[in-house]
Amino acid sequence: MNGLDVDSGQRPLAAPPQGTQDLLFEAARRLRRCEAALARFFEERGFAEVIPPALEAAEVFALASPHGETGALRTVDRHGHLLAVRADFTAQVARIAATRLARVSPLRLYYRGSVIRETAAETGTARERLQAGCELVGVEGPEADAEMLELAARSLHVLGLAPDSARIAVGNVDYFSALIEAAGVSPRLARSLTDAIDRKDLSTLAALCTREIEAGKARDAILMLAQPPRPEREAGALLQRARDVAPSSRAVAALDRLAKVLAGARAIAADLEVDLGEVRGLGYYTGLVFNLYASGAPRAVGGGGRYDGLLGKFGDPRPAVGFSLDLDALVPLASPA
Amino acid sequence: MITVALPKGRTLRATLERFAKAGLHPEEDVSRTRRLIVPARGADARFVLLKDPDVPLYVERGAADLGVCGLDHLLESGADVLSPLDLGFGKCRLCLAAPRGSAIARGWASGESGAEPGRSLRVATKYPALAARAFARRGVPVDLVRLSGSVELAAVAGLSDAIVDLVETGHTLEENGLVPVEDILQVSARLVVNRAAYRLKIEELLPLLERLS
Repeated sequence: MNGLDVDSGQRPLAAPPQGTQDLLFEAARRLRRCEAALARFFEERGFAEVIPPALEAAEVFALASPHGETGALRTVDRHGHLLAVRADFTAQVARIAATRLARVSPLRLYYRGSVIRETAAETGTARERLQAGCELVGVEGPEADAEMLELAARSLHVLGLAPDSARIAVGNVDYFSALIEAAGVSPRLARSLTDAIDRKDLSTLAALCTREIEAGKARDAILMLAQPPRPEREAGALLQRARDVAPSSRAVAALDRLAKVLAGARAIAADLEVDLGEVRGLGYYTGLVFNLYASGAPRAVGGGGRYDGLLGKFGDPRPAVGFSLDLDALVPLASPA
Repeated sequence: MITVALPKGRTLRATLERFAKAGLHPEEDVSRTRRLIVPARGADARFVLLKDPDVPLYVERGAADLGVCGLDHLLESGADVLSPLDLGFGKCRLCLAAPRGSAIARGWASGESGAEPGRSLRVATKYPALAARAFARRGVPVDLVRLSGSVELAAVAGLSDAIVDLVETGHTLEENGLVPVEDILQVSARLVVNRAAYRLKIEELLPLLERLS
C-alpha cells in the first residue's frame, strides 16, 4: 500500500507510544557524548551520581508539586501501592537525601536519565524527556546559589554552546512572595498576578493591581515585575529601583540576596540578565530562580533554583538548590569536546 | 532577523497599521500578494501570513519571534508564550448564544441550562477548550460539538441547543434568530512573543515593543 495508512483503526506496533522516540546510531551517540561530557564536568566539580529507580511511590512526586498536579504516569501494583513512573528527578533526589543521606552535609549530587510526564494529547510535546542535573543540599548561603548558577552556565559551555549564544534569566521568587505578603492579597489573586507577570502582561497586571490592591509601595513594586529584563551590568540600578519601593524588610532581604548571588557569579556575568518577574514555580522555589535559554531552542533549555521547603516534606528540613538541563533541546545544539 | 506572524483575518489591516506606525512595513501589499513570507522594507525582519488560530503555535515553537492574535485564539491554543501588549483593536466578545425564545435563552439567567431533562446541553463552537472551561466553571454539563465555521447554523439547524462564538456587532446573530445569553470573554488583539526570543533577541525586540505600545 502506498502512503500513510491512516484509517486502519489499529495503532501500529511499529511506532513507539506517542511522545516517545527511539534514538538510533548517531542520535544515540550524540546523546551519550553529551551526557558523558556533563558527567565528567559534574564529577570534576565534586558532584556524585545518584541513579534513582524508574518507579517511585506516587506520593514522592505529589509532595514536590505545589498544586498536586504531577503529570506522573501512575499505576497500582499488586500489593495495592500507588506507584508512578519517574516524573521528576529532584523529588527523588530529595527523598534519597532526606532518608539515606540525612546526616551527610553538604551533599553534591547529580543525575541523568529520562522523566515521563503525561501531557495534553495532540500538542506533540514529548512525554519522555531526557535530563541531567545537579542538586546541592545542606548549604543555605548565597555562595551556594552562585555555585549552582555558575555550574549551570558552565554546563552549556561544556556542551560546546558558544558563550554569547546562551542567556540566563535570574530572579528571586522570594521577592515576589514578600510583595504578596506585604500587599495582603488572596491566594487566588496571587495566582492571577503570577500568571500576568509570567506572561509579561503589563496591561492585565496593571488592571489587577488598580482594581484589587491598595495604592502603596507593594503595589508599585508588583507593577514593576512585568518590566523587561535587564542585562547583568545594569543589575545595580534595577535592584536599587526595586529597593526604593520595597515594602518590607523581607523584600529588601530578597533583593540583597540576589545582589550577593550576582556578585558571586561574576565569572559568568556576560550570560546573565536580571528579571524580578521570574515567578514561575512559586510555591516550590523559595529563593533564587533561573532559566537558561540558547539560540536555536524556542523554549528554556534548563532551569533551577532554591527549594528550601522540599526536604522537610521528607522529614529532613535542610536547604537545597539545584538545576536541570533539557537534553532533548540541548543535544541538537551541542558539540561537546 | 525578526520574524513577525501576521493574522490574515479581520484584524490584518489594523495590525499592519500598527506595525507601520512602529516603522515596520512589508515590502509589498500582503493582502494582495500570494507570497506567504514577505520581507520588511529596510529592516532585518520579515512577515509570515497565517490563519489567525495558528499564530500562537508559530510563536510558541519559535517559527515566529512575535505575532498578533486575538485573546480568543491565544487562550484557546493554550500556547506558552508571552503576551506583553494589549493592542486594543479587534475588540469583540466570546458569547454563549441561543435561538430567540428557546428554553436556554429564557432560563439561563435564572440558572436553568435549558437542556432537555436527562441530557447535556449541546453546544457548537470553534472554541472547545474555552467553552468547556466556561461551562465547567458554571457547573453545567455540556456536549460540545467542534465546528470550523458557520457556527450560527448549528443552533438554527438543530445540531445544537446553543453556540459559543465571537460576536462583534450582533448583526449575524440577529439575522439568524439568535440572541446572546452570556458573555464569556472580552476579546482584543494581543501581541505575543516567543519566550526564548524575548531573552535572546531582547535588544532587537525592545525598541519595537516600545514603538508598538
